[in-house]
Parts: sequence; C-alpha cells; structure tokens
Amino acid sequence: MEYEAVIGLEIHVETKTKSKMFSDAPVDYNAAPNTLVSPIDLAHPGTLPLVNKKAVENAIKVCYALNMTIDETLYFDRKNYFYSDLPKGYQITQDKRPIGKDGYIDLNVDGKITRIRINRVHMEEDTAKQLHIIEHSLVDYNRAGIPLIEVVTEPDIRNGKEAAKYVEMIREIVTFTNVSDGKMEEGSLRCDVNVSIRPVGREAFGTKVEVKNLNSISNVEKVVDIEIARQKAVLEAGGVVIQETRRYDDGLKETISMRVKSSAVDYKYYPEANLVPIYIGRDFIDRVIATCPELPTTKRTRYEDEFKLSQFDIDVLLANKDVCEYFDQTVKFTKNYKIVSNLISGEIAAFLNKNQQSITELKVEPANLAKLAEMIAGGKISNKQAREILEHLFEKNQNPELVAKSLNMVQISDEGAILTLVNSVLDENPSVIEDYKNGKDRAFGFLVGILMKKSQGKINPSMASSILKQEIEKR
Amino acid sequence: MDYTTLTIKELHALYVEGKVTPLEVVKQAIEKAKKDKTNSLEAVTFEQALEMATLLSATAVEVDNPLWGIPYFIKDNISTKGVETVASSNILKGYIPHFDAEVVARLKTKKAISLGKTTLDELAMGGSGMSGHLGRTYNPFDPKKERMIGGSSAGSASVVASGFVPFALGSDTGDSVRKPASYAGLVGFKPTWGRISRYGLFPFAPSLDAVGYFTRSVADAAILLDVLAGRDDKDLTSSFEKVEDYTKYTTSVKGIKIALIKGISDNISNPTLKEHYEQTLVELAKRGAIIEYVEIEKSLLNALFSTYFVISCAESTSNNANLDGVKFGARKEGKTYIDVIKNTRTAGFSALIKRRFILGSYSLKQENQELLFRRAQKARRLIVEAVNKVLTTHDFIYSPAAPGVAPLFDKKSDNLNIAHLIEDNHLVIGNFAGLPSITIPVCLDNGLPIGVNLTGRAFSEKALFGFAAAIEDITGLKNLQVEDK
Repeated sequence: MEYEAVIGLEIHVETKTKSKMFSDAPVDYNAAPNTLVSPIDLAHPGTLPLVNKKAVENAIKVCYALNMTIDETLYFDRKNYFYSDLPKGYQITQDKRPIGKDGYIDLNVDGKITRIRINRVHMEEDTAKQLHIIEHSLVDYNRAGIPLIEVVTEPDIRNGKEAAKYVEMIREIVTFTNVSDGKMEEGSLRCDVNVSIRPVGREAFGTKVEVKNLNSISNVEKVVDIEIARQKAVLEAGGVVIQETRRYDDGLKETISMRVKSSAVDYKYYPEANLVPIYIGRDFIDRVIATCPELPTTKRTRYEDEFKLSQFDIDVLLANKDVCEYFDQTVKFTKNYKIVSNLISGEIAAFLNKNQQSITELKVEPANLAKLAEMIAGGKISNKQAREILEHLFEKNQNPELVAKSLNMVQISDEGAILTLVNSVLDENPSVIEDYKNGKDRAFGFLVGILMKKSQGKINPSMASSILKQEIEKR
Repeated sequence: MDYTTLTIKELHALYVEGKVTPLEVVKQAIEKAKKDKTNSLEAVTFEQALEMATLLSATAVEVDNPLWGIPYFIKDNISTKGVETVASSNILKGYIPHFDAEVVARLKTKKAISLGKTTLDELAMGGSGMSGHLGRTYNPFDPKKERMIGGSSAGSASVVASGFVPFALGSDTGDSVRKPASYAGLVGFKPTWGRISRYGLFPFAPSLDAVGYFTRSVADAAILLDVLAGRDDKDLTSSFEKVEDYTKYTTSVKGIKIALIKGISDNISNPTLKEHYEQTLVELAKRGAIIEYVEIEKSLLNALFSTYFVISCAESTSNNANLDGVKFGARKEGKTYIDVIKNTRTAGFSALIKRRFILGSYSLKQENQELLFRRAQKARRLIVEAVNKVLTTHDFIYSPAAPGVAPLFDKKSDNLNIAHLIEDNHLVIGNFAGLPSITIPVCLDNGLPIGVNLTGRAFSEKALFGFAAAIEDITGLKNLQVEDK
C-alpha cells in the first residue's frame, strides 16, 4: 500500500533578551550554574511575574515574519504540572489567546513552492536545566524563566526534506531578525516533530508519534524519514502504531521509545490572574515591525530579482547572517553582485574555514572587496590575480588597486597590445597552427598557454582567446 | 499609662508632645505580647524592634509622619526579609524570605516598628482561626476561650483586640480581614483590587486576594492607606489610579445613597444586632443619607459561597504548587523527585488543605472545567454585574458584617454552613468585584462585638472612610478595649 506522512512541528526558540521572561534576573548562557536567579525564578511565595517587553517585541517580529494575525492584547495562562525543573509547579504560557495565529510560510524545496500553515506563535518561559548523574539530579535555575517563543505548524509537512527546510527557514527568520542566535546544537532552537502516516487518499490521520529534541537540521530530515519508514514497517507487518514519545539515538540511527502516552496529560490550563490582559495596541506592533531587520524572505526576493543571483548562491549567503550582512555591506559599493557573491562563497569562505574564523573577524573591508570586484569586472585583473591580491588583503586591509600596482599586476586588456602579442606567438609557431587546422583541439589550448606565459599571466584570458581565434582563421 | 491601647493618631500625638518615646511604647507592647493568651504569634522580632525603637527614641519625632515609631504586627503570609514566614503551615517551616513585601517595605520606610508575625488559618485558607499549625487562635473578648476570633487573619485581629499594638496587617480573599474584625470589635479594611501592592503576599487566589489591615478607628485606617496605596512596578496588577489624601475625608452623609440588599439586611436573626443596625440607619437618615432596599437575584446570592469556593480552591491548588520541598521549606526526602514532592506535601499540609486542593484540582480538570471552574467564573461575572449595577445608582452597600457574635469553636467547620449561607458569606462580593470594603463595630452583645460592613465603588476609599467615620460617630464604638480580667 502507498502511504503518505503527515507531519507537524513545534519549535521552541530561546529569544535574546537581557533579562528573563517574568523576572529581572539577567540571562547569560555562559554564567556559572545558579548564579542568575531571582526569588521570582525560584517561585518564592509572594513573588509576582513581570512581562519582558523585549521578549514581546521579539515574538511580534516572529509573528510578522510568519504572516500571523497579531493580538493587540496579551493574555497569559497557567499550565499546571509537577516536575523537578518547574519551580512554580506551573508554567506561565499563552493558551487560549496566543500572540500570533493563522500564519504561513512558503518553502522552496527543489524549486517547488509549498505553503506551510502556522497554527500559532506564543510566548512562555523555559524550565530549569537538569543534569542527572547516577543517583542525583542537579538543577540549574539560570535557565528557569528564560523567554521562549513557540512556533506550531499545522500538519502540512509531508517528508523529511520539507521538515528540514522548514526548520532552516525558521532558524533563518529568528537569526536574521535578531530574535535568537538559533543554535540547535546549543538548544537555543529546539524542535519536536509529530509524525503520522496514512494510506494515500485517506483523510483521517494515523496515530501520531512525537519525536523529541532533534539537535541539527540534517537530523530533522534524517529522523523524520527514519520514523516514517519505521511506521510503514510496523503497518506493513500488520502491527499498529502506538501513540508515544520517541527520541532519536544518533548511535543506533533509529528512534527509541521514551514513554507511551495513555491519554493526553491534563495541564488544567486557566488564566494567569497575576498578569491582567495587557493592551499593547496596533501602534506598538507597527513600531516593532517598522524596526524589524529585513526578513530573509525579502532578502531572497531582492537577491533574486534585483541582483539576479542563483538559488544556490542565495542559499549559501543566507546560511549565515553575518555573511549576508557582509555581502549587503559590500554591494553598497558595487553592482557586481555575482562576482562579490563568488568571492565570498569561494576564496573568502575557504580562507575563513582554513583559519577557523568567522566573517566578523575578516580584515578585508567591504569597500575594498567591492573595489576588487570592480577590477575583475573591468577586466583589469584576472581571477588568478584577484586571488593573489585577496591573499594580501587577508593579511592587511588595504586598497586592492594599490596592491595590484605594487605587484605590477595590471591585466593586459588593450586590444592592440593583445593583437601584437597574439601575432608574434602565431609567427613563432606555424606548426601548431597547422595542427589546429588539422583538427587537433589541444593545439588551441597550447597557444593560449604560450600567450599566458609570455604575458606573465597578465593578459585578459577571454579577450586573448577570442582574438587568437580570429587571427588563426585569417591565416 | 497604657500606651498600646491607643489609636495610631493618639499615640502619634503623644510622641509629638514628647509625653512618651517609641522605646517605652515598644517595651510595653512586647511585655504584653509576651503574656499573650490568644495563641496569636508566629516568629517575633522583639530584639530588632527594641533596637529600632532605641534608635528612633534618640532622634527627633517626625511630626508629619503619623506612623513614626508605631508598633505593629504582620500576618504570617506576608513576606518579611530575614524573618521566618510560614503562613501557619508546616510545609514552610524554616523558610526565611529574601525580600520584604511591598507593604512591609513601605512601613519600614515610614519607621513603623514591626514586632513580628501573627497566626492565620493554614495558608490563609479558612475562616475560623483554628486551622494553623499552632492550633486555635482565641478571641480576647472571650476569656473562657470558647469562641473563635475568625479568620483567616486570626492572629492579627487578636493582637490588636488584645491591645498589644494599634494596628496589624492582614489579607482578605473572601472576608479574612472583615469577618474577624466583626468578631474582634475592630475596623477591618480591604482596598480596591490593585490599590495596595500584593508583592510579597503569599498568593491564595490572586484574582480575589488583597492586603488589608486592622485598626481601632476609621481615621487610623485612612492614615495607613495614605502610605500603602499606590502603584508598585513589581506588581503588574497594581493600579496607576491617583492616590488620594485619604485622611481628608468628610463625614457628611447628606445626599449619599445607601443600598441595603434584600435577603441580607432584612434577614438579621440576632436581636441586638438588628436593633443597633436599624438605629444606625435611622440616625444616618436623620443626617441626610438616602437609604433604599435593592434586589439582587436570590439565585446569585445563593451561589456566592459555592462560586467563591470553586474559584478560590482552584486558584489555590496552582498557587501552592510551588511548595514541593525542592527549593525551600520543610523537605521530606525521597528516592525520586516525585517521592520528594509527594512526601513533602503529604507531611506538610493538613487534611483541610489537601481537601481544598483536591476540590480545586478537580474543578480545573479538563473534563470538569466547563461545569465547575468556568461555570463559577460565569457566576462571578453575573454577581459582579449585579453589584456594580447597584453601585451605579447607590454610593455604598451597607450590611451586617456577620450574622452575630463570634461563633463557638465547635460550631464552625470547613463544611458548607447552610444556616447562614448568605449572611455568612456575602462579604465575598467585595472580592469578586474587587471593591473597597470596611467593617466597623456596631454593637456589643453580652460583651461580644458585632460589626457592620460598607462596600463602595472601585477606588472610592476616601468616601468610604468618610461614611464609615460617620457610622463610627453614631455608634460611638471607637477603640474598643478588651477588659483585662
């Protein structure tokens, strides 16, 4: 039987703020355990929650990026359950009225656009971090109360590739809007996947299995496909899929059952009376949106329509926010977008990679990189020369024109000069011309090689090649 | 001279005149408190109080600060930095807060002198003063110790009625200040929800909770609100509404419209209360007040208690879920965290509290929430609408604060009291609607006090004090003293 998968994702994003969601304790992921804790975070009796404005602004930005309807009033609810990492015995979250609802995002998977509907975006607080060591459980309350933004899709995703693309898009959004550093491996972006399968054509959903805490985008794709395959195998063997929570084991390369959900846990949601509904108003929302950095989707369209970059180039640039920023800075000084993009994803990426550096540490100023691109585009230097100049720029930020001059490196692009050079080479090699005319293709390359050698690599290769061709034909 | 039985105003006058120093007053208050026969005290801070009093006595009197050097007690569900605060529950044994409640901080700034903490019904849940971990708190008006003081602010009512201090802080979720005030012959005040910061008040049911207090006169109640009212950025539910000069109230009642609710005010069974209650009405009318009966649907009045019980129990289960032994309090060890939480809560709460948690949790369960919790919320809304409607045409609702004198201990339990379903529970209207409400003594019945209650529009505290002061003037029952026998 043919099956299709029905997949929904829940993503928790730790959002960048100076202090926690409901207290004034500072947020710092590198601080020693239990040093950034207020009585509010420890649920000392009589403490009351305050709402972090920055966290609300960040949530609004995510809503904006996902085309959500944004609520002009904030409502908070309590989710009640006992757990050792939950100091209050309840989590303050948004249940009935999330800040954002009914949005969507368009995924471009292999050139095909798929629209994924977003059910809701809501704000809540993180729990404490736990470390279980043999018989002991250690709790770090630094994490208790850190603001989270949760993004929940409708079950519109159909395979691992789409799921991974979706997570990538969300990561892109939260990093480009400065809402989060979006690091999956460090837990600042956490992803739970709900997977079920059903025979193609059937409307009713199959039994849903939740797979928890996937720690990289490539894992998302892998794990979803593995889980789909597992469920297929279960059904094909005549078994039934049970409703449970599983986790991915990187060593075994399979999903492992964590707990079976007999029935849904009753969290006894009810309104948080210590936070009366807060009217934020349309003006506030509009102000936040107005100050929101350019969305990655807008950037993509701009790169594609205005800069005529390829999908591949765009993906490479958008994979890293800082790289993208560097590109944007550079193209303020030049219109040679493709050349800049190539330099960044080629030589510069290789250099950074080799030296384990990030682009923010790069010595080359965008203006100088732009100049280099102009030189290449104007035929003043060859690509090989450009590479050589870059090596100098990596060492010390300087004007590439001056570097080229000091290396005596200006490319021969003057038609007359090239013509003279070409004819002198042809005069010296009549037998090679003969070979060429007899159909030996290699002969042409041989002549180009001699030209390059003679000009010490300074001859403009494309001009040289076309003039050479034209002059051979004349003989 | 007996200084601690004076009102704040009187004591302040003596300070200003230089007739007595805070040290002498505090010493006297401590001597009395040490001989407490009512079982009203939790952790006491006598040494710090003496230190502070010594310090103040060596400095000039702050003439414009009526709370300067005034001793007081604090209900033990209000956070006090460095002083054990257990809310009369075993589960909090050993819990020493890191911070002062906003109200405590404000009183400190004004140089009022705290003598310590007072007993309550465990975690403020209850109205008898019987359920705290130290056992019964007694009513000083009844030397035979057969009658309750009421609760949950039992100890705070008792220390003021016993003449230890001129005022004490309490909290009021259903009637936890205003009911004991009736049984103790005191002024008991609860502000508009949001008028006084709740930061540091242990939550019972935040949508109903308010910090309140006991004084011996209406004037003293106004003096305290001057200091305690106002926005606190630590409590997002505290109001930005302008703070008034509450002591500048007028006692003229001319043209003021009073509503008496049918089924409450025409249904008084205690003959002494009935007589005095009606006398005040006659006198108020003589002074120009307009008194009218109004009707609130009987079904709503009948629903007052059950609505309150469902909402408060539901909120309380969540608000006390932090008491798990993991972070503070009297932890009972166990193999897993689940065992720790279970063992701690099993040992830490009394049966009454557990019963309330079970009821609260039951009413919040998904399959019951519509029928119980949400239905109670709807009933609450209907009640609030009905009350606010009355208050659009009338300035105050006037009623007896209790059906009669302080009940005998064996008469009260946590069970539904059908005999006085409405008369015993109607003060909760003030909590449902978040309205300011004050109880003042109206008579003594065989030496035992009974109070009346006045509830006004939101943020009408100043006018409320004015009208209450007029009643105080009519009854002459100000600064009631327990005869020392």
